[in-house]
Amino acid sequence: MRRRVVPLAIVGALVAAGCGSGKSIITAGNEPVTTVPVVTVVTVPGDTTPVVTTLPPTTLPRLLDTLPQCNPAALDDAAANGPVSITFWHGLSNELGRELERITKEFNDSQQRVKVTLEFQGGYDPTIDKYLQSNVDNRPDLVQAPEYTVQLMVDTKSTVPLQACTEASQYDTSPILPAALNYYATEGVQWAMPFNVSNPVLYYNKKTFRDAGLDDSKPPLTLAEVSEYGRQIASSGAAAYGLALDSAPDGGGGWALEQWMAKEGEFYSDNSNGRLAPSTKVLFDGDTGVRLMTELRDVVTNGAGFYVGENPSGQDNLLKLADAAQPATMTIATSAALGPLLGFVENGIIPGVGVEDIGVGPMPSPNGAQGSLIGGAALWIVAGKGDAKAAAAWEYMQYLVSAAVQSQWAAATGYVPVRTDAVDLEPLRTTYANDPRFRVAYDQLLAAPDSLVYTGPVLGPLREVRVTAAAAMAQIFQGADPQQALTAAAEQANAQIADYNSRR
Amino acid sequence: MRTSSLRLVGRYALLAALAIVVLFPVWVMLVGAFKPFDKVLQDRLIPNHVTLSTLREAWRSGNLGRALVNSTVVAVIVTIAQVVTSVLAAYAFVFLRFPGRVIIFGVFLATLLVPFEATVVVNRRTVQDLGWLNSYQGLAVPFLATAFGTFLIRQVFLTLPKEMREAARMDGLGHFGFMREVAVPLVRPTLGALALFSFLSTWNQYLWPTLTTTKQEWLTVQSGLRALSQAQIDKPNLVIAGTVIVALPIFVLLMVFQRQLIRGLTAGAVKG
Repeated sequence: MRRRVVPLAIVGALVAAGCGSGKSIITAGNEPVTTVPVVTVVTVPGDTTPVVTTLPPTTLPRLLDTLPQCNPAALDDAAANGPVSITFWHGLSNELGRELERITKEFNDSQQRVKVTLEFQGGYDPTIDKYLQSNVDNRPDLVQAPEYTVQLMVDTKSTVPLQACTEASQYDTSPILPAALNYYATEGVQWAMPFNVSNPVLYYNKKTFRDAGLDDSKPPLTLAEVSEYGRQIASSGAAAYGLALDSAPDGGGGWALEQWMAKEGEFYSDNSNGRLAPSTKVLFDGDTGVRLMTELRDVVTNGAGFYVGENPSGQDNLLKLADAAQPATMTIATSAALGPLLGFVENGIIPGVGVEDIGVGPMPSPNGAQGSLIGGAALWIVAGKGDAKAAAAWEYMQYLVSAAVQSQWAAATGYVPVRTDAVDLEPLRTTYANDPRFRVAYDQLLAAPDSLVYTGPVLGPLREVRVTAAAAMAQIFQGADPQQALTAAAEQANAQIADYNSRR
Repeated sequence: MRTSSLRLVGRYALLAALAIVVLFPVWVMLVGAFKPFDKVLQDRLIPNHVTLSTLREAWRSGNLGRALVNSTVVAVIVTIAQVVTSVLAAYAFVFLRFPGRVIIFGVFLATLLVPFEATVVVNRRTVQDLGWLNSYQGLAVPFLATAFGTFLIRQVFLTLPKEMREAARMDGLGHFGFMREVAVPLVRPTLGALALFSFLSTWNQYLWPTLTTTKQEWLTVQSGLRALSQAQIDKPNLVIAGTVIVALPIFVLLMVFQRQLIRGLTAGAVKG
């Protein structure tokens, strides 16, 4: 006899069970389940009434309990015989790397239990590539992995989930920004700790705003305003263009599309952005994505904006503000660029424009929605190196995300602090008070609704999907039909996801 | 004659125009490297604000001193080894008679069709299992022999007349003697070209050194440049300065080798 068995989503029941407990929206569902009955609906062909069977309640083990455990006490025993040495792979170059070296040296000098050796791996991509290629002996004890590798890192099954350590130490995660923390949680497990957090903001030239007769304290909040202001700027002759757009996979292309979709209140991929179960397809080719991309394309085609290209250096859109011949007035870029941009302007690169003429506003959205997704990277504890090493990595991690260190880190680098209490401490308090522009990114993250939509997608091949999406956006900015380009990109992205999932 | 001198002028004009096209990016690179960060958008072609500070910052940020040492050591090892193994293998394929010679050479050539990316994961694993991550042997050993080099040298060995080998044998030279005294000196220009090619391709390697080194002290030049390329907008010409530093040894090498190559060419021509 042929039957079709349709199991109802257990995951949905799990999440519903966990709601309202005051914990993270994702980890809230991660309780041992004893009361949820497993329901299957069976339909027999030719019979219109479905047969509903209710199985007896079963106990599902928490996913967390099946993962490597964390034993903070192991460090006490090991440190009795001298400091525990750990290595930390990171991808922060130049000034960022030097600031990390400084705070790490302070940690090493301040105590005798843990000695951290930093190993710079040449950037985010080399770090993750090397990590994936290495066996456990050649891996570090702690690794920094960028935001687009959450699913990839989870699937290596090589890390001690952060939640194991926070639970074992009864560590209070409540001061940590939910928007940052939730980004690194899937399937009910908090995997990693956000460390350096950024998000996209709008940079604009206040002088041009004034020249065009606009209020320089009111950056555009919606795409309609972006269009309107841009046209006014162009027609008044204050500057050639309004908004400079780019299509970098980790900038105005792929990353921004994830932001735009969240701001529209839509999931980027199915299974709630892959947060409840791995995603199987992207959703940006739906009505919302098409409407959004049409609106963005019109910003370029109606003269309000300018498309600067793929922006491989991440600087082309910012440099367009300094273009001597045909400058743009606004651009969207990572908040981490603010400090360097001000230094750049201070050198007199844009004639007649001083540091105080650079304005910062939240990233505009199609409908005025606040909030954004994060970028940056998180800290992952590597499993299989022994309890003492994991505990040492956990101790160092607590130092890195402590309020005092986050205050220094954010003030020195321009990253958003991962916790709210860092803002009240020096030196960050003074930085924010003296220059509210640095605070815009932080406030934007605080404004992010506590919703799965605002966690952004987790996809195994997110790096590749971003390249695919960015290529489609590049076509659209150059006049292609949004529906056609997005459909083709979604097909390709879905193939990338299917290929990845088949190898999981 | 009038027409011939006109032709000469035209020829030089054409060469000069081509030289400008080729040298233009190099010039822009040099100007950018010697410019302070705050003047990067001004005087793009004329070096009005010459400073060494950008180069110094690139040297420091990219850890380029150590990287230059590493890349040089690895490139020298690989170059010498590739020339030696290619000569030995090519000699065997041309001057020795052994069963399966043609088939073995075919298999040799077939490896040219396998792109490096297809074997990189397996090679990476082997090197890891040998415990060679972060070491000169890990960086160099997978590249000690090359099918391309063997093929190249074989082709020039084939042009040497068979009688030469026979005459040498009459004079009592064995295989190694013939190779050392006769064959290798005759193909020196090709060896120079191969050496240059090996050095350059090793110097320019990015993927392999990236995957097999995890510590700063084993960094090679291209990885150092990669780190520089992430500099922020207030230092747009940092990576240009790094590129100049990394390209400098190659320039020097080419100049030195150019004379060697020409001498080798003329020597071969006279003897041949």
